[in-house]
Amino acid sequence: MWFYIILVGIIFCAYQAVRDKRLLLSAMWLAGTSALVSIMMYLLGAYQIAVIELSVGAGLVTVLFVFAINIAGDEPIPNLSFIPKSLARIFIVLAILIIGWQILPLLNFPISINQDTGFQLIVWESRKVDLYLQVVMIFAGVISMLRLLTDDFQRQIPTEVHE
Amino acid sequence: MLQIEPLVLLTILLSWIGAIVVWLIGDRNEKIQHLFSIVFSVTAAISAIAMLWVYKSGTILSFSMGASYGDFSFITDGLGLFLSVVATVIGCLAIIFSVDYMKGSAQLGRYYSFVLFFIGAMVGLVLTSNLLLMFIFWEITALCSYALISFHNDDPKAVAGGMKALIMTQIGGLGLLLGALLLYAYAGSFDINIFISNPALFPSNILAIMAFGFLIAAAAKSAQFPFQTWLPDAMEAPSPISALIHAATMVNAGVYLLARFFPAFKDVPGWTLSVMIVGMLSALMAALMALVSTDLKRVLAYSTVSQLGFMVYAVGAGGILASQFHLMSHSVFKALLFLAAGAVIHSVGTRDMREMGGLGKDLPFARMVFIIGSLALAGIPIFNGFWSKELILESGLEHGNPIWIYVIMLIVTGLTALYTTRCVWLVFYSDRKTELHIHPVGKNMKIALIPLAFGAITTWLLIGPFSQLMSSSLPIHNIEVLSLASLFEHVILAPATWITLAIIGLGIMTWFGRDSLSGVQKFVSPLGKLAESSFGFEEINKFIVRTTNSLGENLRITQTGKLNWNVFFILIGLVGVFAVLLIGA
Amino acid sequence: MNISTSMAVFTAVIGLIGIGLYCLLITRNLIRVVVALQILVKGAMLALVFVGQMQGQPSLGQSMALTVIVADTIVAVVGLALAVQVKRYVGSLDIAEISKLKR
Repeated sequence: MWFYIILVGIIFCAYQAVRDKRLLLSAMWLAGTSALVSIMMYLLGAYQIAVIELSVGAGLVTVLFVFAINIAGDEPIPNLSFIPKSLARIFIVLAILIIGWQILPLLNFPISINQDTGFQLIVWESRKVDLYLQVVMIFAGVISMLRLLTDDFQRQIPTEVHE
Repeated sequence: MLQIEPLVLLTILLSWIGAIVVWLIGDRNEKIQHLFSIVFSVTAAISAIAMLWVYKSGTILSFSMGASYGDFSFITDGLGLFLSVVATVIGCLAIIFSVDYMKGSAQLGRYYSFVLFFIGAMVGLVLTSNLLLMFIFWEITALCSYALISFHNDDPKAVAGGMKALIMTQIGGLGLLLGALLLYAYAGSFDINIFISNPALFPSNILAIMAFGFLIAAAAKSAQFPFQTWLPDAMEAPSPISALIHAATMVNAGVYLLARFFPAFKDVPGWTLSVMIVGMLSALMAALMALVSTDLKRVLAYSTVSQLGFMVYAVGAGGILASQFHLMSHSVFKALLFLAAGAVIHSVGTRDMREMGGLGKDLPFARMVFIIGSLALAGIPIFNGFWSKELILESGLEHGNPIWIYVIMLIVTGLTALYTTRCVWLVFYSDRKTELHIHPVGKNMKIALIPLAFGAITTWLLIGPFSQLMSSSLPIHNIEVLSLASLFEHVILAPATWITLAIIGLGIMTWFGRDSLSGVQKFVSPLGKLAESSFGFEEINKFIVRTTNSLGENLRITQTGKLNWNVFFILIGLVGVFAVLLIGA
Repeated sequence: MNISTSMAVFTAVIGLIGIGLYCLLITRNLIRVVVALQILVKGAMLALVFVGQMQGQPSLGQSMALTVIVADTIVAVVGLALAVQVKRYVGSLDIAEISKLKR
């Protein structure tokens, strides 16, 4: 029963995130979506991932969004999209139907929540290449963000400092 | 007690850390950049030589990547060790040369960091025994080669040369990737030694696909037929780069690949014959093209293709020791020739040989080292090219190989002597027809050239320990051990050697007596014109490039630059893929 | 777990992916593009975890989901930094203003 409630909540929050005119509210609805997705994963039995997703998705990313929106400003933009909305809707429904139809026969229905403690083993041992790639990615992301954001920080310094 | 395992890592990491450090120093401190790059490359070279010292057979250094991916492993055997020594030593000599050659050039940080990055990747490529890791290093060397050829990226010829090199070597990389994936699919792991020791595990058609895929990869990387057109156009690169990458290290990667996988593929029907024919065609065509070219570096580039053809021919004929020995000699004397040519070009300011002439009086040091290099190239006795070329020609006579290929290779040896003499004569001895402003050869250039000249005279003395190292560490390849005395016996007393020496003499005499042979010249001049247009391959290249450009122009309309349209097309692609799956299932 | 709950999860995955793609097709604001990407990636993550449970290898599904979380956070970080810079240099966040490809 809980699953249905959370399902409805996810779809509602995601749709509001898309439709809302103001960016800050959009970020709030996104945080709500993250929280609900994390609860759904908890109910599925993936405890570690649920915790990580809650703290990162509903925490870190939301803070980043708030920062960025504050710096960049929140002006409204005319919402005439290039692709007519009806065409987009038809397309999306078509895409979802085809993808759904492909996946549906693959769902073997009798499943159980078997909990094995192999999560740690797999992340740290068997999939080491993934781990190294993630570390490289994190470093690359942090360094590039620092370069991007401090670039204009230096421009605030008055130009008499240059000789 | 020094262990060999950390030295392997040290050689690769020193070069890569040097690349990052030199880049971070910034372009304002030029002297410090020169200094640090010399320091890093010299320490990498010392570490590589130290590996030879503490070598004990059978050491494997491996990093476990978890059960899903296998191990990233490095094996130090004779083949890999000597190539890594060649790469690092010639690398550090080229960097010392660059201090004078690139003095005052802009963006030095980019130059040095790519050179150091390349040296590290080359060492990694020859020392690894995991085919996936070898592919990664292969691609890194291709990237660095492209970046360095188009180093002067405001010159359209340099950029075009770099793109051509990149496209052709990438085609080769596909062949290597195909072989690696097939190996993984049929053996469950990427380890090379499992594959080499029992190739019978694979069904024969898969083995044949892998064999020819690797042959294509090696031919593209080493600029053999039919991929030979990228190397002459890559001569837009600065001369130390031509010496390092396009004479001494990267083009050897193809020959290394063939030599390493020879025991696995030698029983595939038709493979050894194809290898020999590829080598022979490259040697012949490149020698003819070198004979009619007027640009000094292009002559040397064609000469590289031709000598690589000799090495590939030797691998096909079964003489692995001969081909690797010639690889060592060739790296030394070709690097010497390219650096000396670079010194000449830097002093004189032009690359066209018709404008040079009589430079022997003004640049005596350059003349001496260039002549040493060209005597080694032509195969005159005492110099190292003579011994290794004789070993190759002899291995062509054994093992039941076709004789007609041997005869053609003999003719190419004569042609080699001919074009070498022509080159030396045109640059240093004939009469000068134009006014030239000459400035002397710099000190660092001399420092870099002297060890190479010394090596060109003496590296053949190392045949004993060289063959010992290779035969003890590569048991599957069946390499024979040759000591210095047996080398003398083999080479000096064999009648084949006298025939070769006679043909070399004939080649040199042909140049000096060219006036009296004018009748013969008129006869072969259509062939000369054909050679100048590189036997039609250049036309094929231009056609491919033109077609690609016009196709690109016509498809430009789909690039709207607006995000929504791009996502829309991605979505159409996704729906298309699923629709195909729907119908196909 | 029975049929209905797995259908619920399946619908959530499909719904999230659909809404994310719809927003990517419709929006003109650069920051909203990042929001849409986040929604899309959450759908993918949920799908990975769900399929992992279904196939009997829950740890594998979760470790892949971990990689996806790291990747999409970095995408959000760099994307937002780029959006801020675009606003500073070009003056607006509208994608029509910043598409400068020569036609």
